[in-house]
Amino acid sequence: MDFLEKYELYACLQCGKCTGGCPVSLRAPLNIRSLMHEVLMGGSPEVALECPGLWDCTTCATCTLRCPRGLEPSELIVGLRGELVEQGNVPKTVIDALEGTFKHGNPWGKPRQKRTEWKEDIAVKVLPEEGEAEWLYFIGCAASYDPRLQGIPRILCRVFETAGVSFGILGTKESCCGNEIRRMGEEGLFEELREENTKNFNASGVKAIVTTSPHCFNTFSTEYELDGFQVLHYTQLLADLIKEGKVTFSHEVNKKVVYHDPCFLGKQHEVFDPPREILRAIPGLELLEFDRSRERSLCCEGGGGRMWAEGAGEGERNSEIRVKDAHEMGAEIIATACPFCLLTLEDGAKTTGLEEKVLIRDILELVAEAMGFDNV
Amino acid sequence: MAEILVLMEHRQGEMKEINLEMLSKGQELADKTKAELTAVLLGKGIASMADEVKRYCHHTLVVEDEILSNFNSEPYQDVLSFLMKERKPSLVLMGHTAFGMDLAPSLATATEVPLATDCYEIEVKGDAIIPYRQMYGGKMCAEIHFVKDAPCQMITIRAGSFPAEGLKDLNGAVEQVSFQFDKDYAYKKFLQYVEAAVGDVDITQADILVAVGRGIGDPENLPMVEELASLLGGVVACSRPVSDKNWLPKERQVGTSGKTVKPKIYIALGISGAFQHIAGMKNAATIIAVNKDAKAPIFSVAHYGIVDDLLKVVPGIVAKVRERKGA
Amino acid sequence: MDIIVCIKRVPEVAEIDLQVDQTGKGIQEEGLVFGVNDWDNYAVEEAVRIKEKHGGKVTAITVGSEESEDVVRRALALGADEAAVVTDPQAEGSDAYAIAKVLAAAIKDIPYDIILTGALADDDSYAQVGATLAELLDIPHATLVTAIEIEDKQVKIKRELEGGMEEELAVATPALFTIQSGINEPRYVSIMGIRKVAKIEVAKHDLGALGLSPDQVGSAGSFITVEKIFPPPVGEGAQILEGSPDEVATKMMDIFQKGGVV
Repeated sequence: MDFLEKYELYACLQCGKCTGGCPVSLRAPLNIRSLMHEVLMGGSPEVALECPGLWDCTTCATCTLRCPRGLEPSELIVGLRGELVEQGNVPKTVIDALEGTFKHGNPWGKPRQKRTEWKEDIAVKVLPEEGEAEWLYFIGCAASYDPRLQGIPRILCRVFETAGVSFGILGTKESCCGNEIRRMGEEGLFEELREENTKNFNASGVKAIVTTSPHCFNTFSTEYELDGFQVLHYTQLLADLIKEGKVTFSHEVNKKVVYHDPCFLGKQHEVFDPPREILRAIPGLELLEFDRSRERSLCCEGGGGRMWAEGAGEGERNSEIRVKDAHEMGAEIIATACPFCLLTLEDGAKTTGLEEKVLIRDILELVAEAMGFDNV
Repeated sequence: MAEILVLMEHRQGEMKEINLEMLSKGQELADKTKAELTAVLLGKGIASMADEVKRYCHHTLVVEDEILSNFNSEPYQDVLSFLMKERKPSLVLMGHTAFGMDLAPSLATATEVPLATDCYEIEVKGDAIIPYRQMYGGKMCAEIHFVKDAPCQMITIRAGSFPAEGLKDLNGAVEQVSFQFDKDYAYKKFLQYVEAAVGDVDITQADILVAVGRGIGDPENLPMVEELASLLGGVVACSRPVSDKNWLPKERQVGTSGKTVKPKIYIALGISGAFQHIAGMKNAATIIAVNKDAKAPIFSVAHYGIVDDLLKVVPGIVAKVRERKGA
Repeated sequence: MDIIVCIKRVPEVAEIDLQVDQTGKGIQEEGLVFGVNDWDNYAVEEAVRIKEKHGGKVTAITVGSEESEDVVRRALALGADEAAVVTDPQAEGSDAYAIAKVLAAAIKDIPYDIILTGALADDDSYAQVGATLAELLDIPHATLVTAIEIEDKQVKIKRELEGGMEEELAVATPALFTIQSGINEPRYVSIMGIRKVAKIEVAKHDLGALGLSPDQVGSAGSFITVEKIFPPPVGEGAQILEGSPDEVATKMMDIFQKGGVV
């Protein structure tokens, strides 16, 4: 694979719009413009592989979105990581995540048998073994295994039931979508995950998939080549259900809430409005906006493998900036629609000492309150 | 009369605690199998050590030679093979330690004696000695049977399995045994001991970790934790919020984006037990958690828990350890 | 520096609730994920590093079921040059001594300077095969090795002792070392890497091919057998230590003493 050809490096103007928009460039030794240049001048990736900031990239794709030439600098970083993966030369935590995914179907290496424990006593159909449905709800690894997040799919299942949505899940057949795996450079493993999941999608009998995470949503939409399937993020489906009157809110949530656009939903797919529509429909909720919102949303630094790679960056994290900004504007809650954003922002709330002043919530957690769900 | 040989372990002039543990079990087994209990000491300048143990055994055999001054499985194996041939013991015990792991398997093979390693219990059922050991990281226990009619059996014992007290006085005597070495063992030479490097901290190598989380409150409170770690011969680690704040260097961080550790003892102070942290330490052999919140997830993976403010609890523990160590 | 690495395919049991199987002597394997024993992984990495530095050939060998081929293939992808699997149903139920006999037979025609094994295995953790094999081959050994330095006429190694201490030894080759975890940082083995070595042939042997008879292996050839396995007595999550700070501190001391720390 010739790097220069694959990433069209000859076309790079060196304008710097990529680095200019990079959310980690101020705190990490990562200058994507320089990397493009280095690989071009060197004729091969060798020198660039030594860049200490390669694992800081969150693959938010701001650089790719801003490039006036339509080049894909974030893909160059994925490609460089791929070289490191083939050399076996990746951080230990990344090895654990990749090996965990290979063996157990999730980057935390948790047993596959336990993938549906989030369900507790909620009755959900496993497809195709337990019947048919219109929608396949793809839970995702984070929401399946992380106790902080397991409430979220429970809420969505109850919302679907209330709204009369016909849905099912893959159960323990569900494997990591591979979005982060691919972005950590393990293309081979990504291909295996894609093949496995696609096989199960085809066998499930559905034509529509809805996800908890924007990361799963992203890869299914753009990297899976699922012919004949509709793929939605839950906020898109839920906004529609509200419009159709199938989901109504009976309880007030009297809070000032600012919405944080996840990169893999917002800037990468322009799904800005459905999450806001949901929040605006909640009675009593006052929706605030960050200055850096929508396309300019400040990447929380949870994507691109950053949940498993420490990176070389120093200084204030974006999640801390976000939480402080929310506090300054008088927001009591930061709402988001991505499990990684939620976890990363909560970390930021802890380290800034603001965890009791600024709560981090998934939109579904606010929806649960507005629908009077208890015990989720 | 049947005889149980127990190989005493020592290093740099100090006897290991496991010796008394093995002798205490040895006494019980000697009783039950109507055997004599014999301690075996190899080394150089070990007379005082022999004096310490002789009261607990029927016999204490001492083999002294320059060649034996530091543990080396090769000469030790030759001496023990000789002793086993001479005395025809029914049972040979040693610790499942760096010492025993290097010696027992090859010794057992050389003397064609069945060996069960890392046993936490030994029972006597009729004529048979039945050792028990753990498998699958402690998730299963196994009852081991030795091949029938083996005149001698060897067992290595897991440290901490038996009490090091309550031993009876058997008032045995020390017997010097001479052994002629006909090799110089140039093919396996002990060179030196290497102390643990201070300063370059690799928490993944530590046996004991004292980890702090947000509950530490302020970096001013760290010295107390550092003292506890140092008294226990361990190292300070932390969860993500602490290293994020640079209260401790990143290399001390345990968790999915930090290090995965498997120490013998993990003390989690003021750590709530976020999933990402637990993933990095859940395989520690003994986990002790201190947290104000009774519902903190850390308690679901900890073996022992204290529901209290670490700032109240730790000083008391430090004081007790200091007292015990006579420091 | 020709190196033989003996590796084992073991189940991953962290966080899995294990069940005793019908025989009462083993665990139910259905649904378990298998992979290379962690310590053996360090050994393969070490072998490949030595080869990269000093030249020579690395051969990976395993004794186990047919599926064990997976672990030696992975060793090839990591950098081993050749691989062999010894598989024979008669070898089931072998203890460490019997396994060592099989390995000795498999190794006898392979030239080597060093044999590496993991210090112990994730499943039964006997920590026995390595030193037993060394004795059968009549070569010196050292266990729990944390560093290997190849010198002109000898190998300098460090062994892990208790309490953070180590000892340094000089050993003449041919020799066998059992590798302690943490000796190195094993490289990642990618899926594409494994695909790349798919065409390399893995030698397969059964007992007959090695000149072993059934009574030398399996339970017949073993010195010990597992009569029964059972789960340890159940605890209820964390045992909460109650009482005044002083009482609690005393209880902690007991725990420390039991753990051999104080």
